[in-house]
Amino acid sequence: MSALAQRLAGFLHQPGFQAAVPVLILLLIGFFGPLVLVAVFSFMPARSFKLDGGPTLENYRFAFEQSYYLSLLRSFAFAAGTVAVLALVCYPVALGMAKLFGRYAGVLTLVMVLPLFVSENVRLFGWVLFLLKGGGVLAGAAKAVFGIELADMLYSNSATLMGLAYVYLPFMLFPMVLGLSMVSRDVVEAASDLGASRWQIMREIELPLALPGLLIGGLLTFVLSLGSLTESKVLGGSKVIMIAADIESAFTYGQNWPLGSALSVLLLVLAGGLVLVVLSKLNLDAILKRR
Amino acid sequence: MGAPEAHRSGAGGAIPPVLRLVGLTKTFGSFAAVDQVDLDIRQGEFFTIVGPSGSGKTTLLRMLAGLERPSAGDILLRGERVNDVAANRRPTAMVFQSLALFQHKTVGQNIEFALKMRRVDPAARRERAYQLMDMLRLSRDYYGRSVARISGGERQRVALARALASDPEILFFDEPLSAIDYRLRKQLEVELKDLHRETRKTFVYITHSLEEAMVMSDRIGIMRQGRLIQIGTPDEIYTRPLNKFVSEFMGEVNIIEVEARADGWLAAKGLERPLKGPVMPNGLVHGHLVVRPESVRFIDNGAGGGADNVVAGTLYNEYALGSRVQYHVKAGGRMFVVEKLRELRPEATLGAAVTIGWDARDSILVPD
Amino acid sequence: MDIIAKPLARRLIAVWTACLIAFLYIPIVCVFLVSFHKGRYFSFPFDDFTFDWYGKAFSSLQTQELFLISLKVAGVVTAISVVLALFGGLAFARFNWRGRTIFQHLLLLPIFFPQAVLGLALLIWLTYLGVLPSWQTAVFAHLVWIAPIATLVVSIQVYGYDAAQEEAAYDLGATRLQVLREITLPALSPGLVSGGLFAFLLSWGNFPLSFFTTGADSTVPEWLYTRMVAGYTPMVPTMGALIVVGAAAVLVAGYIFIVWRRRPIGG
Repeated sequence: MSALAQRLAGFLHQPGFQAAVPVLILLLIGFFGPLVLVAVFSFMPARSFKLDGGPTLENYRFAFEQSYYLSLLRSFAFAAGTVAVLALVCYPVALGMAKLFGRYAGVLTLVMVLPLFVSENVRLFGWVLFLLKGGGVLAGAAKAVFGIELADMLYSNSATLMGLAYVYLPFMLFPMVLGLSMVSRDVVEAASDLGASRWQIMREIELPLALPGLLIGGLLTFVLSLGSLTESKVLGGSKVIMIAADIESAFTYGQNWPLGSALSVLLLVLAGGLVLVVLSKLNLDAILKRR
Repeated sequence: MGAPEAHRSGAGGAIPPVLRLVGLTKTFGSFAAVDQVDLDIRQGEFFTIVGPSGSGKTTLLRMLAGLERPSAGDILLRGERVNDVAANRRPTAMVFQSLALFQHKTVGQNIEFALKMRRVDPAARRERAYQLMDMLRLSRDYYGRSVARISGGERQRVALARALASDPEILFFDEPLSAIDYRLRKQLEVELKDLHRETRKTFVYITHSLEEAMVMSDRIGIMRQGRLIQIGTPDEIYTRPLNKFVSEFMGEVNIIEVEARADGWLAAKGLERPLKGPVMPNGLVHGHLVVRPESVRFIDNGAGGGADNVVAGTLYNEYALGSRVQYHVKAGGRMFVVEKLRELRPEATLGAAVTIGWDARDSILVPD
Repeated sequence: MDIIAKPLARRLIAVWTACLIAFLYIPIVCVFLVSFHKGRYFSFPFDDFTFDWYGKAFSSLQTQELFLISLKVAGVVTAISVVLALFGGLAFARFNWRGRTIFQHLLLLPIFFPQAVLGLALLIWLTYLGVLPSWQTAVFAHLVWIAPIATLVVSIQVYGYDAAQEEAAYDLGATRLQVLREITLPALSPGLVSGGLFAFLLSWGNFPLSFFTTGADSTVPEWLYTRMVAGYTPMVPTMGALIVVGAAAVLVAGYIFIVWRRRPIGG
């Protein structure tokens, strides 16, 4: 017992732990607390606002009986689609940023980071203005210059997918650049010297070495689009309902906390499982130490 | 708690030790990084601790500087126990392995740091900094320059000046030359030894290179697995290494595993003829014969110049080392290293059969 | 040989990158363009340019209130984040302690977390605890997401920092406080400024967390959303443009500060 107490005291006296305490307290009351509450609420009887009901799986059954699982599947499909689109779109750019643009890479990074600091809503609203039927910037320009009437592009699955890809692009791009910059030029040259083709270099050298960055990028993009709310609401309109929208309406309009909680738990278990598996494979020191 | 009287009176020799370590121990969990080290460091000497990485030498030095607290044992500075005196209150200064120059400060601000902490007024600080820069042959133009913009050798000098600024009694060095290229390192070794002569301060230096230690030190301590296994002058270490471990540390020497025979000769594995060497101490049957490359010579077939021990082999390769030439000779399933002055090199082609030999008095017998 | 040998491949990559940058800026340009449109109902192309809506935005008490709340939230979030990130960054990258790897992963979780869900979870957490949502609770919600990001930003600086400098200062006679003031803070200050910039900008533009946690108060991004979904007014693009200008101003100020700090320090 005293040995255990001694070990605990030793742990608490580490300067590293003490420095971590403020952030840990924040996470405890601002992150883990709410999550535990949500998890507990998901086992409460429907529409209760107190934790005094007996534990029940009602809410989960309800989620599967109703069409909620469809929203979940739709969200997964959109998230997977976003990752796929962004992987293809970002790879050449990341390669350029890491290996080609040299001293311009810094300026380009700044140029590409800036939109990230513009409120997501403003940017999505910009897309609405751009894609709007009839008087939108794209349709209006097409009509004025070429005399073509464009079909409605807003409020569709593809508009939503584009919105997701747009908003989460930097989250894929920059980890990818980080990953690719971990591939040293020497190694690539060595592979090339040993007879590897451009394609073989990518498959055998670049991708495995850049994997930590690619994983982080893919994971961030996947998880964030999985739980996205505004993109589908603004660009998908009422046609595209994602799981986050279901969760929101259960909590707010529906005033059914246990249902919203159960849906949140379903989403978080799936997303969180993925995050934990991938994170546990990463050595953050090695990734971040390189500048 | 005061110092144990026994140890204080024990130092009653000519020069009292400036630093005395008594049973100094540092454990991390169940692992003893430094294990019961006893050592007296004399006033004004250049003492070097040599050991491989992981031998505990850095931990030992950090305890002396006050950056690490001993788990057991005592550190006595001029007889005063300083275990509980923090680094910033000890009259010592350390030169770090990475040099740890303050990257956001200028050369002058780095050098003056200790004086600023002691609230010395700016004019006096500047005076002292210039004085140190002159002593270390750093141009005064560097005073306002950022330390990020000076060369490797200049960084070393700034680190030295910074450590010297507050006139500490003892300077500690944590392998400051380990990351420097060969030529500059050789030059700085000489400068450091000259600095020691100029300042007459006590230097405690750690390194993994016995060669480096030999050049500079008054005395050397060899460290292994947390213990100081041999302490002596460079000469003593060179001529009387305690065991195989210390011998191996000396660079390229021939170490031949031998067993004692009843007739007083030594049987070496792989060699047909027994070897003549020092007499194996009583009770010991197993040891290592150490023969320096320069003690081994080529023996002309037929001609005289015989040696106590003669081994036949083939010349494997030769390496020019400036004024000397080194040969590797394959014999008895192992490689012998032979070193000759350039003008004494033999006329032999690679792969040719050669005979090498050495005298018994040129070999040392060491235990495991 | 270069890594991308063929000139054609290089050119394609350059062109593709240019397209991507254009893609990133299209909606922002659209918002600015439309903010100068005079008419009540937007239709492109138009020729009636006006600054009227900007004048109205500046004189309206309601918009002033919105910007004030956004500013308050972002300012407080920045101040607290920088302090948390300094210590968090040291724990993340400087000290070698048992539990560090777990801490690093815990810290990433809120970043790898859908913000809307986090906002909702915080809403029921606050409601359950009986805390009335207001701009203060929004500060708390922002911190949960932003402090870890700021910590990461500071950590990158901490990784590039030789901690032996602290020991050297201590060994040369500095007290713990002097070490902090003379060595740690100045050496890490570029990272702290970047962390603070990130914190301000992310809080300034945040919507999903604010939406669920501000209660009766409202930030500019929230107002934009409600007006976009229902009750569109020509003020929407104007306010959008203004919030972008605000972010840009802070960014430029931060950049100038960092460049200015890079000079050797006198005295």
